[in-house]
Amino acid sequence: MVRAHLSVTTLRKLIEMKMIPCISVHRNLTCLHHALGGIRWKSSYRQAPLLTAAPARGLIDEPISVKGRFLPPHCPVTVCAQMHSEDGDLWEAFGHYNTTSDGTVSLTRDHSVGGSYLGCEPMGLFWGLQPAPGARKGLRLRKKNVETPFVVHVSLLDGHVSPSERQSTELAAVTTERWYMAPGVRRIEIRQNGVVGTLFLPPGPGPVPAILDLWGMGGGLVEYRAALFASRGYASLSLAYLGHKDLPAPRNRINVGDSYFKTAFHLLQDHPQVCADRVGIIGLSFGVYLTLRLATQPDISPSCLICINGPVGSTVTLSDADGRTEQFESDQKYWVFDDDGYVSFKALSLPANLAPETIVKIEKLTCPLLCIVGEDDLSSSSIECANLMEETLRAAGKHQLFTCLSYPGAGHLIEPPYTPNSRASLWSVKPVKQITLWGGHLASHAAAQEDAWKKTLEFLETNLRC
Amino acid sequence: MQRHQSRRRRRRPNRLKRNVSKLFASPLQHTFDLSAEFRMDRKQYCVKLSVQPSRGLVDEKFIVLVQNVSPGFQMTIHALHKCEDGHSYEAFAHYTANATGTVNVSEDPSLGGTYSGVEQMGLLWSLRPVPGTKPGLRLRKVNVQTPMEVTISVYQGHQTEGFMDQVPLVGVLVERWYMAPRVRRIPITENGLTATLFLPSGLGPFPGLLDLWGGEGKLIEYRAALLASHGIACLTLDYLTPEITMETGKMVDSQYIETAYRVLEQHPQVLGSRIAMLGLSLGASVTLKMAVYSQVMKLRCVVCISGCHVQPIDGFLEELLNFCRINSETKTRINEEDQVIYHDLLLPIPTDPALKVDVGRLQCPLLLVVGEDDQNWPAYESAIDMKEMMEKAGNSHLLTVLSYPNAGHLIEPPYTPHTLATAFLSVTSVKKVMALWGGETVAHSRAQEDAWRKTLAFLRENLYGSSNCGF
Repeated sequence: MVRAHLSVTTLRKLIEMKMIPCISVHRNLTCLHHALGGIRWKSSYRQAPLLTAAPARGLIDEPISVKGRFLPPHCPVTVCAQMHSEDGDLWEAFGHYNTTSDGTVSLTRDHSVGGSYLGCEPMGLFWGLQPAPGARKGLRLRKKNVETPFVVHVSLLDGHVSPSERQSTELAAVTTERWYMAPGVRRIEIRQNGVVGTLFLPPGPGPVPAILDLWGMGGGLVEYRAALFASRGYASLSLAYLGHKDLPAPRNRINVGDSYFKTAFHLLQDHPQVCADRVGIIGLSFGVYLTLRLATQPDISPSCLICINGPVGSTVTLSDADGRTEQFESDQKYWVFDDDGYVSFKALSLPANLAPETIVKIEKLTCPLLCIVGEDDLSSSSIECANLMEETLRAAGKHQLFTCLSYPGAGHLIEPPYTPNSRASLWSVKPVKQITLWGGHLASHAAAQEDAWKKTLEFLETNLRC
Repeated sequence: MQRHQSRRRRRRPNRLKRNVSKLFASPLQHTFDLSAEFRMDRKQYCVKLSVQPSRGLVDEKFIVLVQNVSPGFQMTIHALHKCEDGHSYEAFAHYTANATGTVNVSEDPSLGGTYSGVEQMGLLWSLRPVPGTKPGLRLRKVNVQTPMEVTISVYQGHQTEGFMDQVPLVGVLVERWYMAPRVRRIPITENGLTATLFLPSGLGPFPGLLDLWGGEGKLIEYRAALLASHGIACLTLDYLTPEITMETGKMVDSQYIETAYRVLEQHPQVLGSRIAMLGLSLGASVTLKMAVYSQVMKLRCVVCISGCHVQPIDGFLEELLNFCRINSETKTRINEEDQVIYHDLLLPIPTDPALKVDVGRLQCPLLLVVGEDDQNWPAYESAIDMKEMMEKAGNSHLLTVLSYPNAGHLIEPPYTPHTLATAFLSVTSVKKVMALWGGETVAHSRAQEDAWRKTLAFLRENLYGSSNCGF
């Protein structure tokens, strides 16, 4: 029996020297793997290459330290991440590295010289995930079921290759789990007093501060950010207001009004596990308008507000009594299409285009406001609205309440860190398949998410804890 | 002895819509009833407790950090674990916050409790049954596919008891896993085996290991699961109480072990030429027998924990167990606490070569892990004799001995709580006895940590390195 002394690298060298006919290389490799048990390292190795990722089971906002050891020095390797989304699409990312003189590669120390990202990017394998070649168009990576983790398979490959060559070049691998819910976090479905939402409670006796979590016109019930807040010690209620089967019909309109949002806020505030005087509100996109509008209601006193990439008013009126709104179709005059037929909703939230009676009286705010802006936001006029918020507060002598974080190269979807940005994704399938533009360039958007999340947690710490 | 009974009372400010009598179903909430009156310490919600990682492997270290308390604040950090059989275990330690209002368990000293000094993992290895529990229990995970859950809480003041009657300031839940993500568990029943195979995640193929436990029998999975989490395809084998023995009443012979080896060797995801064997206690005896005498098994290396090479060369399990049974009639000792010491059963180490495995014939590296306070098996004496035999035979370069003063018999994966004596029913007896294992808790815990690290390094070097065996 032939001893296992030939590595793939050696074989390649032999091919280059024309000692093994090229045609039969692939078959030889397979034979080699079978006969020798698939040993992919040189016999001169004392030990096989080892790939570690710590923590292997982490929260989505926790950095992972990926390291390869027991490799030959100054050798090209590829570190690659692959995962399947809940819809079954394959996402992947990779970086090309050269091992150091001690035969190691460390993503927290070394620079990628090619692949999905360049430079020293410890989390590049996660925020750099992209749909694999051949995938459907317009994908966006989002977790619907927050009680299970994203499973990301990280492998160490021989040479500077692409993930599609993993089968034949894998030296070592490790599987990681990325969780939105920390152990002990409880998920409670809320269908009470007409309110449709999901409450996440941190473990422990409580009481704890709380956050009301509002998303945009995509509708439905988006749970992952609220789950993550609970994992960081805050009770959090993610609230649905559009496009959910348990809300009043029809699904393509907002059929709830001010009283709905007030009821939700009070529900959270009055919960036995919640410190009633420490409740904040966070909103993204249209959720910003809802956040500001709710915060200026009588009998609603949040401790702080976070507004990400959203408008100060609306092109549709949000009524109070029965909650009916005008058709969204009237918005379409503001839709702008690019050469690919992708639509940008940006003009909808330009202050000049907002219905004046909907513009929130921001001067009435009494609590700190953190405004987060992506300068490449193609979906919302975030910069203009942030400026309007600042001017309004300044004019009212309340400028000390306002903080703005503005990120060059970041798009609309500033979400928890280490998740990939989609520059455009599928918005609707009826009556036609429509892809919408979000904006954001991968690396700068990733940096923005990381920094914004860190500052968000600090802001909450300051305003909701002590 | 001072009794610190500070019963914390917290009263909530009047809120009309509040329903304070609601009970919440969670690992923490079941321990207290919110219908009692509470006075809210206005600073209580400031206290931050974090344990990183919150989901780790059982042999991974964690960092317990308490923040945002006043400088000099006295606290008790408490760990609570309810195991599968319903019994509760706890550990606790007293700390005083530093000038920045922080306690970091990996850097700051415990001033008392179930451990003292700077002990990063003390909250786990010093776990012990809560007061009132019957004696003789041993903490072992049966279902390795779910994590061990430990609740870590912070209580005000330096307390030693009554934790369950109080509400802590803050608490988190920590998961400790035997299986890394996507390690696969495969029950093996073919060819009459009672075994479980654990495969690491990834394409493989992987080196293999045969894992054997001791005199109580049963199929113990957790060490094999953990080794698979470190990249080794591991088969744990029940050789004392397998289905076939339970049905026929007959002990298995050496071919049963060889069959298990073959299953591993021929598995498409196992490197057939890179298989090791690991045994604890009686399992180590079997391991040594097979490693030296089996014609079928070609092992890359062998690990024996708390093992002994003394056994009749002829025959297999029946003969070995009879040998022990006969000796137990005269050589069993019972101490003042009615604990049974089997340590002398195989002593003195015989000079008759028919009564001990001829380790001079061993052809692969051997790692012996020995607790010098082992009260159950003469592992230390046996190691000395084995070393002599190998030096005489000229193969002592294959031998590594890790010998730990004040460590006992049950040298388990790190941070497993030490047990001095537990209720033990060996396959040779008809009634349970309180078997004394030995070991002093702190030294035993250090030994477990050190031995595991060195065992992993030994396995990795021998299973992956270039072959230096004689075949």
